[in-house]
Amino acid sequence: MIKPLALRSWKFLKSIQLTIVLLSLLMALVVLCTLAQVEMGTAGAVNAYMRSFLVWRQFSFLPFPIPVFPGAALVGLILTLNLTAKTLDLQRTAAKAGLWLIHAGLIVLFAGEFVAGMMQVDTNMSIEVGQTVNYVQSYKNMELAVIDATDPNWDDVHSVPDTLLSKGGTIALAGTPITLKVKGYFPNTELSSLLPGAAPSIATAGVGPSVAVVERPVVSADNEMNQTSAFVEVLAGGRSYGVWLTSVALGAPQSFTHEGRTYALSMRLRRQYLPYAFTLKQFRHDVYPGTEIPKNFSSLVQVVNPSQKESREVLIYMNQPLRYEGKTFYQASFGKNDTLSILSVVENPGWLLPYVSCVLVSLGLLVHFTIVLRRSLKRRQEQKES
Amino acid sequence: MKNLVKYISWGAGALALLIALVFALPGTKPRGFDTSGFGTLPILEGGRVKPMDSIARNSLLIIHSRQGFRHEGRMVGPDEWLLDVMFRPTVADQQPIFVIDDLDVLGLIGAKQTKSRNYFSFADLSPHLEEIQKQAMNAQPKPAQKRSRFEGAVVNLFDRVYLYYKLRNTLQLAGSPGIGWEIQALGTPEAALRHKDLVQLAQFRILPPLAGMEPEAWQSVGQALSAAHSGVALHPGMVPLAKLNAAYVANDSAGFNQALGEMHQVVSVLKPGAIAHASNEMIFNRAQPFFVGLSIYFVAFLVLCFSWIYKPEILRPTAYSLLLAGAIVHTLGLAVRVILMGRPPVTNLYSSAVFVGWGAVILGLIVERMYRKGFGTAVAAAAGFASLIVAQNLGTDGDTMGMMVAVLDSNFWLATHVTTITIGYSGTFLAGAIAIGYTLRKHLSTKVDVETDKALVDMAYGIICFALFFSFVGTVLGGIWADQSWGRFWGWDPKENGALLIVLWNAIILHARWAGYVRERGTMVMAIFGNVITALSWFGVNMLGVGLHSYGFMDKAFWALTGFCISQGLLMLLCYAPARFWAPPPHSKA
Repeated sequence: MIKPLALRSWKFLKSIQLTIVLLSLLMALVVLCTLAQVEMGTAGAVNAYMRSFLVWRQFSFLPFPIPVFPGAALVGLILTLNLTAKTLDLQRTAAKAGLWLIHAGLIVLFAGEFVAGMMQVDTNMSIEVGQTVNYVQSYKNMELAVIDATDPNWDDVHSVPDTLLSKGGTIALAGTPITLKVKGYFPNTELSSLLPGAAPSIATAGVGPSVAVVERPVVSADNEMNQTSAFVEVLAGGRSYGVWLTSVALGAPQSFTHEGRTYALSMRLRRQYLPYAFTLKQFRHDVYPGTEIPKNFSSLVQVVNPSQKESREVLIYMNQPLRYEGKTFYQASFGKNDTLSILSVVENPGWLLPYVSCVLVSLGLLVHFTIVLRRSLKRRQEQKES
Repeated sequence: MKNLVKYISWGAGALALLIALVFALPGTKPRGFDTSGFGTLPILEGGRVKPMDSIARNSLLIIHSRQGFRHEGRMVGPDEWLLDVMFRPTVADQQPIFVIDDLDVLGLIGAKQTKSRNYFSFADLSPHLEEIQKQAMNAQPKPAQKRSRFEGAVVNLFDRVYLYYKLRNTLQLAGSPGIGWEIQALGTPEAALRHKDLVQLAQFRILPPLAGMEPEAWQSVGQALSAAHSGVALHPGMVPLAKLNAAYVANDSAGFNQALGEMHQVVSVLKPGAIAHASNEMIFNRAQPFFVGLSIYFVAFLVLCFSWIYKPEILRPTAYSLLLAGAIVHTLGLAVRVILMGRPPVTNLYSSAVFVGWGAVILGLIVERMYRKGFGTAVAAAAGFASLIVAQNLGTDGDTMGMMVAVLDSNFWLATHVTTITIGYSGTFLAGAIAIGYTLRKHLSTKVDVETDKALVDMAYGIICFALFFSFVGTVLGGIWADQSWGRFWGWDPKENGALLIVLWNAIILHARWAGYVRERGTMVMAIFGNVITALSWFGVNMLGVGLHSYGFMDKAFWALTGFCISQGLLMLLCYAPARFWAPPPHSKA
C-alpha cells in the first residue's frame, strides 16, 4: 500500500508535466508581480507575489483575505524538489552530463534566491558631508526610540519596534526606569494643527495636545513613506509623565526629565547600530559638460572600526560598492544640494550562490547543446550518405 | 548556366553595396556654399563632441520628423537649414517645418486642420508662443505617462519650439546684426547683457578649449564674448566665425568657404583630431547605413518571395546575396557606431533594435547556409527589415549616440550583459519568424512537403536552444552586474522580470517538446508566442514607467505594440487551425 503510493508520488515529483506546470505558474506570477509594481511598488509586489507561499486577496464580500494563487516561494520550493528528483533520476552517462550541470546549477540558483528572500536585509545610510554615522536605517519599518541624552558625548538608545507598538499594552524598557503604555498606534497618519472647537487630543504632554491626527491608508509604493504615529503614556518611578504624541511627521524629538536624566522621545525609521562608523569626507556629483546628464556619483568615506583598529578611506561610486563586514554599501542617491549622500546597504549571506549557479548552468547548456548539435549533424551526414 | 546564376546573384549583391556607397558621398553645394564643410565643424552638445551635421540632423528630426524638407521647389538639407536658422532667421522662420497633428493643439493656435498634415513655420507659431508655453508649463510637472493626449502634444510642441528658439540664439541673438557687430560692441553694458542671454540660450558650444584649459572646456559664443568682456583675449575662433556669419548673410559663397577654411584651421590647431572624428561621424550620418540596410533587406525579401513562383534557381541565390549585402552594410554601420562612441553596440533602446535585427540576420544567414531552402533568407530579411524599421522609429527623439547616465556607465557590463541578452532577443524573434513562415507556407503552399516542414521545425528548435542559452546567460550576467554594483543579485525589476519570462518560456517550449506534449505544430505555436513575450519584455516594461530600466520610456509605441501582440495571436490561431483549414485538403485524393 505504502510502496505504490511512494512510487507514485516519486513519479509525480520527477515528471516533466510538473515542471511545465510550475514554470507556467512562475511565468504568471512574474507577470502579475511586474504589473502590480505600478500600484504597490517593487517591495510590496515582491512580498505579495514572490516572497510568499500563497498570494492572498481581500474580497469585499468576505471579512478575511483568502489565498487565490500559489506564491512564488511555494512554486520555487516544489520546482526545486522537482528539479532535484529529476536530476537524481537522470542517467549518469556522459551524454547527460550537460543536463546534470544545468539542473544542479538551477538548484543552486533557487537556493540563492531562497536565502535572499528569507535573509536579505535592505537598509540605507544617509550621511551629510562631514557627518559621522554609525547606524543603518530601514526603508519602511519604524521604531520608537527613547534616548537618554544626559551625557553630551554618549546617547543611550532604547527602542521599541513598530511591530511591538502595534500590539499595544505596556512595554517596560529594560535598563531604564521607564515604562511605556501604548494608548494608540496608527501605521499611517496625517498631522495638522488642531482647530479650535475640534475634539481634544488624547495627548497631554509635549506638542501633542495642539496636533490633530487623522489616520490614512497604509502605502507601500517605492517613493512613498508611511507617517507612523503613536500615543504613548510615559511612566517612570511610579508617576506618569503624561501622554505623548510621537510621529515620524514631527521633526524634533520631545524630551522630559526624570531623576536628573533627560530622555528624548522620537518616532523614526528603525535603526541598526554598527560596531563601526562612516564619515563622509566628500561627495561628488559629476555631469557631462554642458548638460544635466549625471556622469558619476561618488562618496569618499572614512571607515573607522575601533574593534579592528582600522581607519581607512574608501571611495564608493557607481558600479563600485564597498563590501564590508557582510554588508554591501552602494551609492544610491543624494540630496540637500549635493551635500547629502545616501548609501543603500544590503546584507545577503547567500550572495555567492548565483555566481556558482551561473557558471554551472552556462557550462551545462554549452555542453548539452554541443552534444545535441553533434548528434544532429551526424544524423544529417548519415542521411546524406544514404 | 551555373556561371550565369553566379554572376547574376553576386552582381545583384555588388550593385546593392555600390548604391550604399553612393549614399556616403558628399552632396552638392547649395548656392555654392560648402554646407558639408560646415557640417564637419566639431561642437560640444549633450556632453559629447559631434559634428555640426549631427545636431542639424537630430534637431530637424525632432522638429520636423525628417532629416530634410522641400521648400520653394527644392530640397533643403539639414546643414543648410541650420545655417539659415542661426544666421538668417528671417528666412528660416518662414519655412514650414513644425508638424502639428493634434486637433486640440491646432485649436489652441487657432488653425483648422485642412490638409492631411499640418506644417507651420516659426513665424506662424510666434503669435501663440505665450499660450503654448503656458499650457506646456501646466502639463510639465506631471510624469509623462499621466499626461493626457493634449498635454503630451502641447509639451511636445513646446519642446520643439524651444529647441528651435535655442538654436536660433546660439551663435548670435536672432535679429541682431551678427557676431562681428557683437565683437565691436564689446565693453558696452548692453552688450554684456546680450552676451549673458547668449550664454543662457546656447544649445551647443562651438569654440574648442584653448591651450592649457581642461579638455572638455568648450565655449559657446556667448561664453567667449563674456570672457573677452572681462579682459581675456578674444577666442581665436571668433573672427573666422564672424566672417562666416557675415559672408552667409551677404550671400557671398566664396567668402563663406574661405572663412570656413580659417575656422577649420583654428579648430585643428586647438583640438587636433576633432575634425577627423567629426567628419567620420558626418559620413556615417550621410550614409544612413541602417536605412540603406533595411531597404536592401526589403528588396531581398521581395526577390525571395518571387523565387517561390518564378525561376527559383536564379532568384534564390540572388536573394541570398542581397541579404548578404544588407548584412554587410548593417555590420559596417554597427561597427562604425561602436568605434565612434567607443562603447559596446547596445547603449539604448534604439541601438538594441539595430542589434537585435543584426543578430537575427546573422543567425538567418547561418541557417540558410545549413539548410539552403530559402527560408533562412526570407526570415532573416523580414526580421532585419522589421527591426530596423522599429529602430528608425525609435531614433526620432534626437541623438542616438547620447551619453550613458552614471549607473549604466560600464563598458564591461554593457558589452557582456546587454549584448548577450540582446542576442537572446534576436534568437527568440528569429524562431518566432520561422514559425510564422511555417504557418503561412502551410496555408499557402499547394504541395505537401513533409521534409521542408521538418527542416523548419528543426531550425526553430535549434534557434530556441540558442536563444535559451543566450537569454539565460544574459539574465544571470545582469544579476551579477546588479550584485557587483548594488549588492543585490535580483530585485524583481520589471526589465529583469521580462528577461526572466523569455528564459522561462523558452525552457517551457523545450521541456514540452522533450516530453512529447507538443510536436511540430505545437512547437511552432509556442515559438510564435515567444515573439509576444519578447516584444513585451523588450518594450512593454518600459511603458510601466517603474524600475531601474525605465530609461527608455515611450508612450507612442503603445498601440504599435498592442497591434503586434494581436497579430501574433491571430498567427498562433492560424497555425493551430485544424487540418481541414490547411491548404490543400490532405484527403483530396481519396
